[in-house]
Amino acid sequence: MIVQAIFYFFAAVLVLSAALVITVRNPVHAALFLVLAFFSSAAIWLLLEAEFLAIALVLVYVGAVMVLFLFVVMMLDINLAPLREGFARYLPLGIAVALLMAVAMGLVVASGYFDARFPPRAGEAGPAASNTLELGHAMYTDFLYPFEIAGAILLVAIIAAIALTMRKPRTLKTPRPEKQIVARREERVRLVKMEAEKR
Amino acid sequence: MLILSDVLILAAVLFCISVAGIFINRKNVIILLMCIELMLLSVNLNFIAFAHFLGDIAGQVFVFFILTVAAAESAIGLAILVVVFRNRSTINVSDLDTMRG
Amino acid sequence: MIWAPLAPEIALLSAACLLLIIDTLSRDEKRRLTYWLGLAALILSAVLVLAFSPLEPVVLLHGHYVSDPMSAVLKEAICVITIAVFFYAYDYFEEHGLLQGEFFVLSLFAVLGMMVMVSAHSLLTVYLGLELLSLSLYALVAMHRDSPTASEAAIKYFVLGALASGMLLYGMSMLYGVTGTLELPAVSAVIAQEAGRNLILVFGLVFVIVGIAFKLGAVPFHMWVPDVYEGSPTAVTLFISSAPKIAAFAMAIRLLVDGMAPLVSDWQGMLIILSLLSMAAGNVIAISQTNIKRMLAYSTIAHVGFLLLGILSGTRTGYAGSMFYVLVYALMSIGAFGMVILLGRHRFEADRLDDFQGLSRRSPWFAFIMLILMFSMAGAPPLIGFWAKWFVIKEVIAAGYVWLAVLAVTFSVIGAYYYLRIVKLMYFDEPTHLTALKASQEMRFILSLNGLAVLLLGFMPGLLMAVCVQAMRM
Repeated sequence: MIVQAIFYFFAAVLVLSAALVITVRNPVHAALFLVLAFFSSAAIWLLLEAEFLAIALVLVYVGAVMVLFLFVVMMLDINLAPLREGFARYLPLGIAVALLMAVAMGLVVASGYFDARFPPRAGEAGPAASNTLELGHAMYTDFLYPFEIAGAILLVAIIAAIALTMRKPRTLKTPRPEKQIVARREERVRLVKMEAEKR
Repeated sequence: MLILSDVLILAAVLFCISVAGIFINRKNVIILLMCIELMLLSVNLNFIAFAHFLGDIAGQVFVFFILTVAAAESAIGLAILVVVFRNRSTINVSDLDTMRG
Repeated sequence: MIWAPLAPEIALLSAACLLLIIDTLSRDEKRRLTYWLGLAALILSAVLVLAFSPLEPVVLLHGHYVSDPMSAVLKEAICVITIAVFFYAYDYFEEHGLLQGEFFVLSLFAVLGMMVMVSAHSLLTVYLGLELLSLSLYALVAMHRDSPTASEAAIKYFVLGALASGMLLYGMSMLYGVTGTLELPAVSAVIAQEAGRNLILVFGLVFVIVGIAFKLGAVPFHMWVPDVYEGSPTAVTLFISSAPKIAAFAMAIRLLVDGMAPLVSDWQGMLIILSLLSMAAGNVIAISQTNIKRMLAYSTIAHVGFLLLGILSGTRTGYAGSMFYVLVYALMSIGAFGMVILLGRHRFEADRLDDFQGLSRRSPWFAFIMLILMFSMAGAPPLIGFWAKWFVIKEVIAAGYVWLAVLAVTFSVIGAYYYLRIVKLMYFDEPTHLTALKASQEMRFILSLNGLAVLLLGFMPGLLMAVCVQAMRM
């Protein structure tokens, strides 16, 4: 009973914070609500006996990925107004589609098939069971091949991030003739009309 | 005592929120990246719930790999975002579904 | 040697890591060493595929990896196509001053990802291979850092690609929940027992199909295709449009046939819709395009529609027909984009249709090559593109969908218009200028070979088809 109450509490927090992520005006707030969403899912994962993953979610996601997000949001000085363009226009339709989808998906997943097959179960693992040990065993034996591929994926991410964002120091200040000859008048001169100042 | 359907419905609701987020925030790429994170979170919730009720560790291992890939994915996504910002001084991307011609 | 079938993947991964280090240390502005070593790595893995592929399916690494005739043929094709891509791409990057060693390194990782997908034997490896491929491609599209269009294309590709992965994963989670296993044949076996009465399976299937359709670029999940094709540097477009389509085909076969064969009547209906919409929208919208990269993007969408015809017929020969189609398509596609690269000059992309005006005056030989490619894409006999369409349509009729075959033929006749328009521009219009084509000897040689392959294969389609049938036999 108490487990269920905890589950419903965190589920409510999770849904609420997820809804706020997609609707708040400021991306920094959105990132912080996403952090809240990650924390509440980590709590639910603990209830589902995935202790290692719950900790990993907090450490890796909240600790690293979300910090990266916040860095980027704050580093890029973003003008918010144009980003909200169309927000109000799409909001009603978005909500309608989401509600419809949620009802349809909810009806399917709760159609009784899973409940008939899997009775409600509480945690059965005793205090001696180690989720980390079990996961580690699986990962380094049965899942060796996916593990290697994941290594390659992380390497690609490193290469890509560096290749895309690293700027070489510009020591050469030579003119670029090919750019100079294609320059048009409009790029160099801007005519501004101003009211004459009153005396 | 947890009921599997409850967790699955929660994941489905989360999934729909993220789809709606992608739909209504189509100009704000940062929020789009966050919506993708939410979507992966809902999938992870599904896998962990199934792993728990099936008593099978494979679902949890799958989640481990999704977390890894998602971290790599957000690194690349943010790198592309920085490139976009440097080129255009804005991250306002014109509608993703423009069909010119 | 039990690990022998893995040799191509191991070699490619080692080579990519080595190449990364060599490229960092190299001070050559022209990146010649990286380029040649990258080619060497691809040739090496192509040879290893030939040398070590078993004739019977071999499952390794706790059921995550399979090496069978299909994977051998597709891996070989991926390597060969990527070798040609490297030749064209080097020329392009050199001409446009965009040479970066990372292109070759990331492409090798993308090839590795494709190989993983082709050899996937579990839901997890399908996903990881797909992500390895996609992440490399996102980065490749954004590689031209000073181009606003390229970076915008990259962000669109990224967002929609990630969305597709999310959909695919949701579907996979449902399959896992019902079957309790990740291994594809085991999934299939459990589904066979559940037989028909399970709504959840169809629900999961829908998400998987959406994911596959996104990755293939089938209508209505094609939004990214035209923008990404147009915005990316042409060499990257060339790559995206060729080898990854082969991998996406393999993914469709692995998931739908190996993993969900008992649900064939369910996915057949969904594929019919996707295929019909793709053929219609692709062929009709392509007509109004003035940018050749965008036109070829819509042509890709139309070809994907044809490709799906073979899969939805639901028979082994149907899958073989699709496999034939995707291989032929990749060959034609690199040729067509290769022509766009050939016509480009320093910092100038020849991506408007007008740039092809009067090509027969400027270079009769390459106008002829383009003529072959366009006729083949349109499906004119006796070129190879005709046989590709012939085989899939034959299978669709055999499967009892005569109306679908009639519509497919109609759409391909509509599609012939925009291919022939390019031929008309090349042969009957006056050139706007008569500058000679600038391209390296290698590029000219490979492109000629590419065009001639399309011509000559058309005279012996049975050979390639026999290979495809053999590959799909098991």
